[in-house]
Amino acid sequence: MTMSEVRAVEGRVEPPYMPDVPAAFRPGEVILEMRNITKRFPGVVANRRISFDLRAGEIHAILGENGAGKTTLMSILFGLLQPDEGEIYVFGKKVTFRSPLDAINMGIGMVHQHRKLVAAHTVLENIILGHPRAGRILNLKRAEEEVVALAEKYGFRIDPRARVWQLSEGEKQVVEIIKALYRGARILILDEPTSALTPQETDRLLESIEAMARSGLGVVPFITHKLPIVLAVSDRVTVLRRGEVVARLDTKDVTEQLLAEKMVGRPVLFDLKKPDVQPGEVILRVENLSTLNDKGLLALKGVSFEIREGEILGIAGVSGNGQRELAEVLAGLRKPTGGRIVFEGKDITQASVLDRWRMGIGYIPAERKDVGSIGEFSLVENVLMNFYFDPGMARNGIIDYAKALRLTKELIIEFGVSTPGPEAKAKTLSGGNLQKIILARVMARRPRLLIAALPTQGLDIGAMEFVRKKILEAKARGSAVLLISEDLDEVMSLSDRIAPIYEGEIMGIIPAEKAKKEVIGAMMAGSRGEETQQ
Amino acid sequence: MRIGRYRLKLEKRVTLPGWQAALISSFAILVALLLFSVIFLLAHIDPLVAYKEIFSYAFTNRYGVLLTINRFIFLLLATFAFIIPAKAGLWNIGMSGQLYVGALAAFAVVYAFGGKESISAPLNPWIVLPLMVLAAFLGGALMGALAGYLKGKFDVNEIVLTMLLNFIAFWVVAHMIKEGGPFMNPQGRGESFALPKSLHAPLIFGVPFTIVLALGFAVILEFVFRKTTLGYQIRAFGQSPPAARYAGIRPFRIALLVFFLGGAMAGLAGYHYFGAVPGVYKIARTYGYFGDLSFYGIICGLISLNDPIAAIPVALLFGGLSIGGRFVQGKLHMGFGLDYALLGVLMITLVAFQFFYWNKITLVRVQEES
Repeated sequence: MTMSEVRAVEGRVEPPYMPDVPAAFRPGEVILEMRNITKRFPGVVANRRISFDLRAGEIHAILGENGAGKTTLMSILFGLLQPDEGEIYVFGKKVTFRSPLDAINMGIGMVHQHRKLVAAHTVLENIILGHPRAGRILNLKRAEEEVVALAEKYGFRIDPRARVWQLSEGEKQVVEIIKALYRGARILILDEPTSALTPQETDRLLESIEAMARSGLGVVPFITHKLPIVLAVSDRVTVLRRGEVVARLDTKDVTEQLLAEKMVGRPVLFDLKKPDVQPGEVILRVENLSTLNDKGLLALKGVSFEIREGEILGIAGVSGNGQRELAEVLAGLRKPTGGRIVFEGKDITQASVLDRWRMGIGYIPAERKDVGSIGEFSLVENVLMNFYFDPGMARNGIIDYAKALRLTKELIIEFGVSTPGPEAKAKTLSGGNLQKIILARVMARRPRLLIAALPTQGLDIGAMEFVRKKILEAKARGSAVLLISEDLDEVMSLSDRIAPIYEGEIMGIIPAEKAKKEVIGAMMAGSRGEETQQ
Repeated sequence: MRIGRYRLKLEKRVTLPGWQAALISSFAILVALLLFSVIFLLAHIDPLVAYKEIFSYAFTNRYGVLLTINRFIFLLLATFAFIIPAKAGLWNIGMSGQLYVGALAAFAVVYAFGGKESISAPLNPWIVLPLMVLAAFLGGALMGALAGYLKGKFDVNEIVLTMLLNFIAFWVVAHMIKEGGPFMNPQGRGESFALPKSLHAPLIFGVPFTIVLALGFAVILEFVFRKTTLGYQIRAFGQSPPAARYAGIRPFRIALLVFFLGGAMAGLAGYHYFGAVPGVYKIARTYGYFGDLSFYGIICGLISLNDPIAAIPVALLFGGLSIGGRFVQGKLHMGFGLDYALLGVLMITLVAFQFFYWNKITLVRVQEES
């Protein structure tokens, strides 16, 4: 059967350019196989004898923590790296990729986590950029028709004339997927496909992925964090740990618990036990608080709530609904335009950032690299960020570096930070270890109020579990905690009360025992809670 | 690149120990001298002879070495004027304007005490000299603080700001010392009145006491940056303003402070050259030349990676070569501007060799291909 026959048989609208791939493959046939792939870097074996196969019409997820060798494997598959040992077969033919172009020409498409699009160009221009036909005179009208047809086929909604800078992260991802498909991809590699998407966008993407699989494509999502997604769509899953395949399972046979255990190498607690603490005095009272975002628009519209001693209030919401502004205005980094902040009975609406630290407010910012740490500073100096002003650490303007070193060593041990030592630069730490050291130094201040903004975003399961445990420890010690998270499961499992936020307004506050996921989800999307109470 | 069985490989350096930086810089100096030999060869002069003359005049001749040290003090203070804001991630290009204002302030003190009238005016140096130093310090500091205030308050670009303030200061000096200006020399030679003899700065083995200030500040600044809360805040802000804000550091305060202190260092440099160097004791007609020379503080700061102690040998080298170069130019009858050409080549080479501060080249044995 030739390509045109396939087209005729299935009556699809095919991309105008097909790569050099044999057309004769049926659902279930192996279209990609990697055999005993080994890749060494100085000092480490990133991939050790990894074997992997993909069938037409299959979704085969690759799961692993940061550093498990996923990125290396993905780069080998897309021709960015050459394996030291092992073979790759595509459509039954042994191949050697010298560059991504070779991979593309064999029908492999890659959707990067960090989008590689031209922001000032339209969606259509981005899609046809680099297409073999684009070197000649463009027939934009025809290309547009083809792109629209392709999008419709898989249920993507996208305006081909929109400029890329106007798009959300989810829409940009759609553009990347269509670009790969338009280029004729038969095997689609997705790097962390849902990491930047809202729940609604995620659902829509999953439907499209299933549609692609139904039409005979092979899809390989690489996933670090979101286990439910693996369970929702994939047929099979290969788990990597420390560069080796530790499990290959049919998704129907696995549970989230089992996958996490395979990834981490030990049992992981998903249901953290909430310490039984009676909420005490009101620590923080926020009245009618408003503030602007960086563009000067009203981002927080008269928010009010209270948090008591030993209580966790969870702010649930999709990114960009005023959470960041709320955290910053409470930390003193952003000026309120209205309302009051009362901390332990004192009005701190106008207090400086430093005064708030001194009073016992601790803030874990969402931007760990840019705000929460200084990459060029040693870990000791990073710990000092929350201690340089502390009378126990600095006297008469002179910092006691020996003491800071001792504290840093203790924190490294207590929080299990993996690092060569306290003098290592912060930029050498992985995301999880960096978050641990930030958490460690904020917790070491024993804050009365802990503001944790997206504390587990982007972390490995192991680190995520650790951070959550520490937040519960703060609660057990009597701190009031404001937990801001985009992960609804996290908010629901940690909080005592849940406050969904939508467009800068809190839609109601619900006690955790009465909270239902659907209700909170709806409130995050703008509906007012009915059974809400203050 | 492959050489026989070996391959050259470029690697990023993670850390740079001080001794390696010193080694790289020393090597860079040798390369610069080698490159500059071409100039001597073109003039049919043996480079070895020329360099021997330069170095022996600058560092061993008893007249030359005093000139070198005076330039060294000036350059070191100008370097501090750069380093202090640079630690906070801010660029001070205003050392020349700040040193002019510092010099004017010092002379204003003398003017106020009536020292303009006569070279033999009997003023009490125990009172007036400290006031001159203080005035120079504050004059430069306020000139710097002006830029720091505007930077901190309105986030105006500090490079443009300090550079443009230089022009203002330059013409203010001209207004003060030229025809009809209040500080005009009675003989009217386009320079300021001379200091009374009673106010000539005390010398230590022929070197003005300002060397104590310059070296003292090297130690103080090193201590401030390494050990104090203030130094920590300045460095944190220099590395990451948003992280510094998160930690409770106030950007406005830091910007104002580093430019105040940086300007003060330049102000002292102004006092040193026009008030304390033997044989000068006035704001010279060629004051613009010293304004230009102070920009070498930027280069010295960059080469010493903003380390106040490391700046000492760098400033000494630049001071010595500018003196030795000028001397050889006269002695060997070479073209005008030899000293600046030499400094220029040295500067470019040192900056180019900074590549090796962050990268290293290693030799790797190529594995036999199977």
